[in-house]
Amino acid sequence: MTTAQPTLASDFWSRTRHSFLATVKRDGFGWLALVVLAMVILGPLYSVVLWAFAERWQYPSLVPTQFGLSFWEKTFSRADIAEALPFSIVLSLTVTALSALICLPASYAFARMRFRGRQVLLLSFLATNAFPRFGLYVSIAVIFFRLNLIGTVPGVILIQLVNTLLLMIWIPTSAFQGVDRSLEEAALDVGASPLRVFIQITLPMVMPALSAALLLTFVNTFYEAQGALLVGLPRVVTMPVLMYSLINSQLVVQYGAIISFVLWMPSLLLLLVAQRLLRGGYLTAGFGV
Amino acid sequence: MTTQTLSPKTDSPRQWRQAAFAYLLVAPPLLLMLLLIFIPALQSIARTLTVDVDGQVGFSFSRYVAFFQDRISVSNLMFTFQVVFLTLATIFVVCFPLALYLRFAQGRLAAAVQILALFPLFVPGIILCYALIRFLGTRGTLETILNVVGVSGYRTPYLKPEAIIIGLVWESIPFTVLVLTAGLRQVNDSLIESARDVGANDWTIFRRIILPLIMRPVLIAFSLNFLGIFGAYTVPYLLGPAAPQMMGVFMQQTFGQYRRPDDAETQAVITFIICSLVGLLYVRTVAKQRIQQENE
Repeated sequence: MTTAQPTLASDFWSRTRHSFLATVKRDGFGWLALVVLAMVILGPLYSVVLWAFAERWQYPSLVPTQFGLSFWEKTFSRADIAEALPFSIVLSLTVTALSALICLPASYAFARMRFRGRQVLLLSFLATNAFPRFGLYVSIAVIFFRLNLIGTVPGVILIQLVNTLLLMIWIPTSAFQGVDRSLEEAALDVGASPLRVFIQITLPMVMPALSAALLLTFVNTFYEAQGALLVGLPRVVTMPVLMYSLINSQLVVQYGAIISFVLWMPSLLLLLVAQRLLRGGYLTAGFGV
Repeated sequence: MTTQTLSPKTDSPRQWRQAAFAYLLVAPPLLLMLLLIFIPALQSIARTLTVDVDGQVGFSFSRYVAFFQDRISVSNLMFTFQVVFLTLATIFVVCFPLALYLRFAQGRLAAAVQILALFPLFVPGIILCYALIRFLGTRGTLETILNVVGVSGYRTPYLKPEAIIIGLVWESIPFTVLVLTAGLRQVNDSLIESARDVGANDWTIFRRIILPLIMRPVLIAFSLNFLGIFGAYTVPYLLGPAAPQMMGVFMQQTFGQYRRPDDAETQAVITFIICSLVGLLYVRTVAKQRIQQENE
């Protein structure tokens, strides 16, 4: 750290500038990456966040000409939004719960039990990623069309469940595999029942991974728009599906911006625990990696 | 993985019971996948290869012939290919240097670059599209900034193919950087230093030492991005031109707007066939990695 004395102000500045230039030279690529990424990644988000709190924003002003919240009330008094938002939350919770119910026992079996074809069956879940996503949805939608599942809630739940399988199987399976068996055996030796061992020893150890899987599944499902669009319309409208029409009929810019901002909240939840998700390797688990 | 042979003859009843219980537990998600992935896909393939003439079902390529004779269908398919290859090339040009940098650099600057590179993971596709419209569109933030610094004559890429590529690259950066960086971490520092000691230059080190070690992550990043772009819908629909369309947008329009599920199905199967090799490459690469990890 540079210690600056008042009398040596010019010296301080020249040293600071010198060390700054030296850093740029040494870390030139890093600085370039930082500046470009900041512009490209944060630039678009800057527009949305400011638009959400703008009353008026006239070109060519860099910031809104007038800030205000009046559009928030207008946005949420729209019937379609007031209906879609709670529905979307309940739908995502339902899909996450169903996915957990179906997948968690299976992942325990994959991790702990020996049976023929275990490895192949576990790897078969990669199929959810191995198809061009939208093509697969069309295939499913054609079947749903014949079964009269188009425009129904069960249809949307089913198509969204497909997306959750890989994550909800693979993350918990790795977690159950990682549990130290000697602890469980020690507890069994001193007479604890298998159920008690599971609840008091196994479960706490896999809890971080299970919560990561549940959180990621909920957020992914909440944002899933393509399957819901294809299968849900015209009767079932989730929040992201509503966004398509808000974007395409851009009469009032603020509607889209405010909805984007509100929809973004669950994702910010993920951002808060990002470090932990990253360290646990959960962020790429949905891709099978 | 423990080596255990389970041949029917030597199985004890207890082992047999355990296996039966295990199958019972893994059945529900497998059934769901069978019903919602394999059966729809196979049924689509079968249906597009048959023709029904007065109740007589026979084998026929007629649906595919119709697809390839239709000028719009073919131009949409070609357009999809172009976007896939340009986007893939851009992703690797952007992500490879980033991953190399993140692997070898340390300190706060590298941490900040990493945070920014991973940030798109936390921005859902639909919000990204809206944000890019506001940013790149006419009189958007970018044009405003350019205007402030005195650059005029900005032509927006919104509703042009370039906007699709920008959106898709934006979405793919975090995953690609994560996978490549994870792969690069397997490259041993001492290996590189000893190569340098014997006079290898950076390019040789990259080609002879780094590249072979990270072939698997590169293949995973390539295949998943390929499939992701080929199966994309939201970004091309909201940011791209009305014509030509990428296959996802084309299928949705055929199914949802024109209500022609049969044609949409043919389009879907064509994307399956084109992507099948890449899909297999993805499954094979991940499977190998997974089995290797379990054996360690």
